[in-house]
Amino acid sequence: MINGFAQDFRYALRQLGKAPGFAAVAIVTLALGIGANTAIFSLLDQALLRTLPVKDTDRLVVLQSVGSFNGNTSSRTDENFYFSYPMYRDLRDRNSVFSGLIATVWTQVGVQWRNQPELVAAELVSGNYFEVLGVQPARGRLLVASDDLAPDANPVVVLSFSYWKRRFGSDPNVVNQSILVNGRPFTILGVAPPGFHSVVMGDTPDLFAPMTMKAEVKPGFKDLEDRKSRWLNIVGKLKPGLSRDQAEVGINPLWYSIRADELKQRGNSSENVRANFLTKSHLFVRDGAKGFSPLRQDVQEPLLIIMGMVGLVALMACANVGSLLLVRAAGRVREMSVRYALGAKRARVVQQLLVEGLLLGLAGGALGIAIAPTVSAWLINMIWSSTTGDLPFSSHPDLRILLFNFALALAVSLIFSLAPAAQFWRPNLAPALKQQVMIAGGGPLRFRRIAVAVQIGLSLLVLVGAGLFVRTLHNLKSLNVGFTTDHLVTFGVQPTLAGYRPDQTRDVDKQVLQTLAALPGVRSVAGTTDRELAGDNTSNTITLAGYTAKENENMNVESANVSAGYFSTMGMPLLAGRDFGDQDHDGTQKVAVVNESFARHYFEEPQQAIGHSYGNGRGKVTTDIEIIGVVKDAKHTGVRDDIVRTAFTPYLQEANLGAMTFYVRTWQPPESAEATIRRAMQTLDSKLVLDNFRTMQEQIDDNLTAERVIAILASSFGVLAVLMAAVGLYGVLAYSTAQRTREIGIRIALGAARRSVVRMVLMEVLWLAGISIAVALPASLLLTSAVRSQLFGISSSDPLTLVAVTALVAAVAVASALLPARRAAKTEPMVALRYE
Amino acid sequence: MGIEDKMIQLKNVDRSYKTGAGRTWVLRRVNLDIREGEFITVMGPSGAGKSSLLNVLALLDDQWEGEYWFREQGIHDLKRKQRAELAKKNIGMVFQSYHLLDDLTVQENIDLPLSYKDIPRHQRQSLVADTLDRFQIVAKKDLYPSQLSGGQQQLVGIARAVIHKPPLLLADEPTGNLHSGQAKEIMELFRGLNQQGTTIVQVTHSEANAAYGSRTIQLRDGWLVGDTANPTLAQPAEVSAS
Repeated sequence: MINGFAQDFRYALRQLGKAPGFAAVAIVTLALGIGANTAIFSLLDQALLRTLPVKDTDRLVVLQSVGSFNGNTSSRTDENFYFSYPMYRDLRDRNSVFSGLIATVWTQVGVQWRNQPELVAAELVSGNYFEVLGVQPARGRLLVASDDLAPDANPVVVLSFSYWKRRFGSDPNVVNQSILVNGRPFTILGVAPPGFHSVVMGDTPDLFAPMTMKAEVKPGFKDLEDRKSRWLNIVGKLKPGLSRDQAEVGINPLWYSIRADELKQRGNSSENVRANFLTKSHLFVRDGAKGFSPLRQDVQEPLLIIMGMVGLVALMACANVGSLLLVRAAGRVREMSVRYALGAKRARVVQQLLVEGLLLGLAGGALGIAIAPTVSAWLINMIWSSTTGDLPFSSHPDLRILLFNFALALAVSLIFSLAPAAQFWRPNLAPALKQQVMIAGGGPLRFRRIAVAVQIGLSLLVLVGAGLFVRTLHNLKSLNVGFTTDHLVTFGVQPTLAGYRPDQTRDVDKQVLQTLAALPGVRSVAGTTDRELAGDNTSNTITLAGYTAKENENMNVESANVSAGYFSTMGMPLLAGRDFGDQDHDGTQKVAVVNESFARHYFEEPQQAIGHSYGNGRGKVTTDIEIIGVVKDAKHTGVRDDIVRTAFTPYLQEANLGAMTFYVRTWQPPESAEATIRRAMQTLDSKLVLDNFRTMQEQIDDNLTAERVIAILASSFGVLAVLMAAVGLYGVLAYSTAQRTREIGIRIALGAARRSVVRMVLMEVLWLAGISIAVALPASLLLTSAVRSQLFGISSSDPLTLVAVTALVAAVAVASALLPARRAAKTEPMVALRYE
Repeated sequence: MGIEDKMIQLKNVDRSYKTGAGRTWVLRRVNLDIREGEFITVMGPSGAGKSSLLNVLALLDDQWEGEYWFREQGIHDLKRKQRAELAKKNIGMVFQSYHLLDDLTVQENIDLPLSYKDIPRHQRQSLVADTLDRFQIVAKKDLYPSQLSGGQQQLVGIARAVIHKPPLLLADEPTGNLHSGQAKEIMELFRGLNQQGTTIVQVTHSEANAAYGSRTIQLRDGWLVGDTANPTLAQPAEVSAS
């Protein structure tokens, strides 16, 4: 086979050079298919498939529980993945199935180093964190169990490798030096190794601090010993030889026993409460090889959808390259026949075809792989446009993925370059050698028709998806969220991260509000501890005076501490009662304004909620918070999330105030207010760092990142798909009309009008497109039903989308047929018939 | 129909092609009168311009210069579309390679010229049936060209050419691909058509086929150099010199 390889290689190069258009289209098509596939698969691999870069990942597990819970949960995802610190400690110290259990929670801290304050991401971890994960330090030492024994006793941190590099210039002497964390000196113990980010996939904390330092690292949160406060995730390492199922069976008796103790501490409970809290509860041991990840849950479905689309596009690219190679081979029947006639063996002819395919594959694959990091970087940038610091994903694809995709490009081109060989396998030399038979018979044309029909069908599938996602994004963007989103600026300020004590927070917040209100161009100012449309939830279990909760009734409500004037600043209309005023502060009657859903759920009518009171917690709690007003419902967690029952209370009546997010309603365009606001805050206190400064519109865009990314990618793939289909269709028509030159010549000679020739070619296209669409439309209905959860405001069989996409595909089909049709109509019968 | 009626008159018809070096002439100042009912044979060596002349007559070529009169209508003044309309009504073509469409049956091939005219379907069906009957190929009506012999294919080709009863039938080497027995049958058919009033112009190399015609013209290097109806035809300088 390798006989004359060099000669075939040179000849193949010359052949491709002679048909630069064909070579360029084939290479670019292959490159786009491979490049997009590599880029998306690279992200998918990092997000969904890759295991953590730690030891014994097959033994890592994540704990998840079911069963009723009364208290607060601070969560970034499914609340059942969150536990209290005492629960973690009990499970860690009393279990017999794990060789180690670690606790983790993400937070943000203010760091000062050489008088430069900045907000950075941090991970509060249990002392055994690095030891259980088997992570070794790059410098100094990592946290150990003894660093995490007593509350507030060990102000130490470990730096992440990239933070050490970025902020400390990889200074090896940084170990044992002191930095200010939230205004308090912490000693740097060491640096984590490169490549290790966190046990939480997608998180890239800059530093790690002991869990028992929570009160310092998350000032204001004094719930380390509170069993009614869930806020940490638990990751475990199974004992060697133990399966997850065995561990689950082994740990649950302990789980019930701890829960029974917790129930006992709550005092008398009804049978129903007991059943929900105890007998119906269970602790699951989930696979943790890839790490616990709220991000994975967010991106899993969008990434799988995008991967599905890119798979369709890659398939189209293959079909396209295949049909291009076939048409080229079909035009070379005579050349191949001459080779046979001159004594070439089949293997030699096949070798030549393979060499040409190999060249195309090499070029397409190399180009595809070369563009993949750019596509990845563009995607990452689009998805995490608002993220500062380290990104959870790398744009450089893994070597395995690169090799796989390169091999895929080669395989596709080799396979399709072999396909034409079939028609040269038993050549019919006599007719093939005649001058007039320059092109092959029906076989390749049939294949090309099928290939084009497949491409039209696939492009319709991708376009239907794109149409649905674009409409979803449009629906979400034009949705009335319940408050006025224009001329609104938002940012966060955490005084405790600038060194203020928690008890000073309220005063600082007050000063911030006053400073902002006095700025020129500011219409009004407000603040909340529960920022809007940011994906956050802060829920609280409540007990309403005089209200008997139904069996299993969810008594959790979203809780927000807000400033006076919050509702008027946000543009949330008051439906009943009054807004907070100056009279509502510490020491006066505790008051609350609830939203319409809250009022209607518990009191049927907004007006009837006024005057009722409630308390935080369940059971015997003081119900001393009086409802004084009801506001109209507004979206809170996210644009597409359901409205939840919410209770707003004045921040001046809250002792443990969390981080405050401020909203500034401006007269002028909100973007222009940034400099003024930053200057004013700098003047107030230069240590106060403004976090997440953005307009409300940017906040909404950020909230719709997944939808936006899917819509943009789906549209891009849709355009790519339809372009490929157009190129494929053009190719098959140019080929089939060229093959029909004689027939068209005869028809014209017999009196066919030229327009009837155009009609004939267009009919061929419409038949092809019609059949493809008839098959693809039902398929699209099946496929889109799988992405129903990602849609908003439309059904997966949205008629407008289906009609528009069908019309678009038909229009593109006709447009790509026009040139071959016109060329066919210009056939000179005299020329077409001359070769007799 | 009197034999003296002029059907076609060519006056100084030239046809040339641009080539790299300049122009190649395929027809030079051709003057030719064709009367109604004639059976003309065009002869000459390869490259003499026979097929080019036939293409001009068939109105398949419109890149010529000079004057072309068809039944006193100046073709040279007509637009392309008008020429196509005139050809559709008045001219039938028979080809050496038959040029039947492979994917159509005998019946469908014969129907093809009618399908390009505004003729009602039932009328077309009746015309096709008549023609099949007339050419005695009813039994073959559902066969495809590849299932027919060369002679049978040419029979279908002629049936297709005359189904719309054109007054002028042009045949380019109609027996070129047939053996002598088949060729004779085809030429007898042409004779019969001519006797029924169809004017025929055939291009052939065969003296035997030429004998069926009433008049023979000779072409050489694009020049009309002989015409049995006009023995005094002036010889062009270039040709007479050679």
